[in-house]
Amino acid sequence: MVDVSQHELVPEHTVLEEEALEDVLEEYNIDRTDLPKIKRNDPALPDEAEIGDVIKIVRDSRTTDQSIVYRLVVE
Amino acid sequence: MQDTTPKDIGSLSFGLMEPEEYREMSATKIITADTYDDDGFPIDMGLMDPRLGVIDPGLECKTCGKHSGSCNGHFGHIELAAPVIHVGFTKLIRRLLRGTCRECSKLLLTEDERDEFRDQLDESRKLSRDLNDVTKAAIRQARKKDRCPFCGEIQYDIDHEKPTTYYEVQQVLTSEYSQSIAGAMQGDEEEGVERTTPDELAEQTEIELTRVNEILSGSFRPRESQRKAIEKALDIDLTEEDTNKLMPSDIRDWFENIPDEDIEVLGINPDRSRPEWMILTVLPVPPVTARPSITLDNGQRSEDDLTHKLVDIIRINQRFMENREAGAPQLIIEDLWELLQYHVTTFMDNEISGTPPARHRSGRPLKTLSQRLKGKEGRFRGSLSGKRVNFSARTVISPDPTLSLNEVGVPDRVAKEMTQTMNVTERNVEDARRFVSNGPEGHPGANYVRRPDGRRLKVTEKNCEQLAEKVEAGWEVNRHLIDGDIVIFNRQPSLHRMSIMAHEVVVMPYKTFRLNTVVCPPYNADFDGDEMNMHALQNEEARAEARVLMRVQEQMLSPRFGENIIGAIQDHISGMYLLTHDNPRFNETQALDLLRATRIDELPEPSGIDDEGTPFWTGYDVFSELLPDDLDLEFTGTIGDEVVIEDGQLLQGTIAEDEVGEFGGEIVDTITKVYGNTRARIFVNEVSTLAMRAIMHFGFSIGIDDETIPGEAQSRIDETIADANDRVEELIEAYENNELESLPGRTIDETLEMKIMQTLSRARDNAGNIADEHFQDDNPAVVMANSGARGSMLNLTQMAGAVGQQAVRGERINRGYEDRTLSHYEPNDLSAEAHGFVENSYTSGLTPREFFFHAMGGREGLVDTAVRTSKSGYLQRRLINALSELETQYDGTVRDTSDTIVQFEFGEDGTSPVKVSSDEDNDIDVEHIADRVLDSEFESAEERQEFLGSKPRPTNLSEHADDRLAEGTEVTSDD
Repeated sequence: MVDVSQHELVPEHTVLEEEALEDVLEEYNIDRTDLPKIKRNDPALPDEAEIGDVIKIVRDSRTTDQSIVYRLVVE
Repeated sequence: MQDTTPKDIGSLSFGLMEPEEYREMSATKIITADTYDDDGFPIDMGLMDPRLGVIDPGLECKTCGKHSGSCNGHFGHIELAAPVIHVGFTKLIRRLLRGTCRECSKLLLTEDERDEFRDQLDESRKLSRDLNDVTKAAIRQARKKDRCPFCGEIQYDIDHEKPTTYYEVQQVLTSEYSQSIAGAMQGDEEEGVERTTPDELAEQTEIELTRVNEILSGSFRPRESQRKAIEKALDIDLTEEDTNKLMPSDIRDWFENIPDEDIEVLGINPDRSRPEWMILTVLPVPPVTARPSITLDNGQRSEDDLTHKLVDIIRINQRFMENREAGAPQLIIEDLWELLQYHVTTFMDNEISGTPPARHRSGRPLKTLSQRLKGKEGRFRGSLSGKRVNFSARTVISPDPTLSLNEVGVPDRVAKEMTQTMNVTERNVEDARRFVSNGPEGHPGANYVRRPDGRRLKVTEKNCEQLAEKVEAGWEVNRHLIDGDIVIFNRQPSLHRMSIMAHEVVVMPYKTFRLNTVVCPPYNADFDGDEMNMHALQNEEARAEARVLMRVQEQMLSPRFGENIIGAIQDHISGMYLLTHDNPRFNETQALDLLRATRIDELPEPSGIDDEGTPFWTGYDVFSELLPDDLDLEFTGTIGDEVVIEDGQLLQGTIAEDEVGEFGGEIVDTITKVYGNTRARIFVNEVSTLAMRAIMHFGFSIGIDDETIPGEAQSRIDETIADANDRVEELIEAYENNELESLPGRTIDETLEMKIMQTLSRARDNAGNIADEHFQDDNPAVVMANSGARGSMLNLTQMAGAVGQQAVRGERINRGYEDRTLSHYEPNDLSAEAHGFVENSYTSGLTPREFFFHAMGGREGLVDTAVRTSKSGYLQRRLINALSELETQYDGTVRDTSDTIVQFEFGEDGTSPVKVSSDEDNDIDVEHIADRVLDSEFESAEERQEFLGSKPRPTNLSEHADDRLAEGTEVTSDD
């Protein structure tokens, strides 16, 4: 099987640590359910991601060099 | 309406209404189906009871005491003789019946299961997912249970016959059980099933032999366990379906016993709604204001459809009660019950599949409650979203190059109809009196005045003089539109925000709206009969907002690509090209004439002195007069030359489309971003007027002779085409001899087609090149093509050289008859001519066959555009609907209405394309910005002071105000 997370077009997905997550939620003044979602079975997710985790995605952007996006893992 | 304050809506909740609530809010109980008595007075407790509100002007409402217009009406109620089902809830009723116990009404889930579903529901609510997914899953789980987990009662399937009938389907012993058993015991020799004796059967089923015999004789009905045993032993089915109709009253009793905790799992809030309220026992009667009756010319009253329906309901309701009291047979009662159900159903929705719609006497289906709301003309789409407005005008548009791009010419008859409210104060009382004294017919006049006591008076020709004397501070005058008023101007389809812009009014004679041609691109307007809409703004807030945000000059930069969408077009570009291409010389009169419509009224130092000793000015110098004094710019221009501007002087290059045109003209773009919208507006206005003067100075026309070429060139073109035809013949010959080698990934046929296409398009290009050689650079068509004003060299090629290959679906024309395109050709003729190659030019004229092929290719283009516009329009509509609720918040995030984040930073960089200058090399042109900042900081102490102190941009308040400010003159204070 191909591991898509190694593909050059798939941006880096990492599970966000609890503390870092709290900072993010505070920065935007939101609940974690207000974040964009990502499905648990998404092949780009790291193996250790569980439902309820928040994923940090660092991807190349057309307007800025890199953009950071957070997503909540749902089923 | 001035005494009512708007109220904030805190929250809305949707739920069911309790029958008791219907009774409480009811103004009266309705018992008679009659509406008016013989004298024409409404009957008490009838459908037109005066307590239900007033519709006739002058009467007083018996409930609230208000008059018609201010009384909204009051509900009444009908006590239904028997409960009926509410059609709007049939699906939910079915779900509840299937999911709850027929005996104890509890949800058929164990407590653990129930809690689990409740947790899922909470989670879904938090993630704003569809709650139906969970409730449906809960019902599905509940239906799997054969027996109630609480009382052990066997559960039966519920059948729903649309629209409002429910059956319980039970499996019961068939009446022909003895025959079935006996038949099965006979066995079947062909199938190899052996005979069964009663003894064997008794043994297998563990039923006593005597019982078996009794069963076989039909004198004993086997019990359920016995039936199952026999079925298993003989491999037969002894059951038949027995349907048991559930009456609405049964369902109501059933639902009353459903515990509150169980309803929650099904997504119903038990504090607000109880499921038994879905079965109506009381019917609310809408107020008369919702179903007004009309008096016809002959004095007869015509009632609303809803009233007709209510009459039916009351009649049946009464008959039902009478029959029941008289002890009528069950069959009749049931029929009446069904009839009552039908009328209540169609009262709410008259378009239910499976039920005949209730009809008017004339045969027209009645328009009942749901029909009032649904569809394009319904309450939502027709009345609430589709508002029509006053103070709007629509007429044909025509061009007026003397207007500023911020202005719109408004016909005087429109200006006299559309008014602006003027609050009279000590300072404008003189003006106000003048307007009023001009009356409604004179221009700038007034149509209405409002006295301080709130009374509104119409200004007429007769009373205008007297009225004018009475006008004092504190009055309101509705005066006509005058020059300088701000209005909103719009052309459909309104696809982007530049389709609706604010303009300043210039009142003009005749009947069309006039606009400057440079605003055609944002509106996508032309003058072949286009019409546009105008809206006069009615309060100061709207006018201020329009002026600051919506004026044309504020929309100069398109948010789509961040460059200017407004700029010189067509003849402006040709004119600028003529003015700057060879840098022609002008004498003083000519130079002043070129600049006469601009702000420039003094020429600069002459560019030089010619041989005869008269001073001259060059095109560059004339154009440079329009540029800001400190503009520096260097870029590659339209015709590929280097354009150099230093200190506001054009030193090199031709000014054409890429310099001053729409959609990203470099100079316009830079001026907008560096010097502001007002300066850009002045520049575009002046460029367009200068260009018009220039093009008139040189003269510019085009005719058929401009596209004809000398005979010598024509014969060279003919040669090229003959040459190409020969080469095509060679290719065909090679193909027929199987000598053609196929290209990689193509069949031989495709290879041939490709090569022929290549050869022919090369031939057309060659013909075009030959034609080009014979066109002078001052040929008007060439000027237009080079400057980017209109047309391209391809158009010229087609006019003078050869039209070339006609294509349908990107291929040579291959359709028509069997094996050939037209009957003029041999079958399977592969030649250029037979497949739509047009070797003539538009000037030389097409042969009939060429003409036909050309029409085929042309038709495809037309169909494509027609299909594309409708497809892309629909796509855009759907995108807009999907994205319309997204909003950039103050923290830079983009969120939807439920505050879910869509983008963490708007556009990932948090910048607006309009506020950022960018080009191919740089997303943000930092270098340029930094240069500008440093320049102004380090040149001298004064300059630095100017840099540190803010340099006020000209205001964007009004056309006239900013001209003064741009010049640097001060506006004197009012007091």
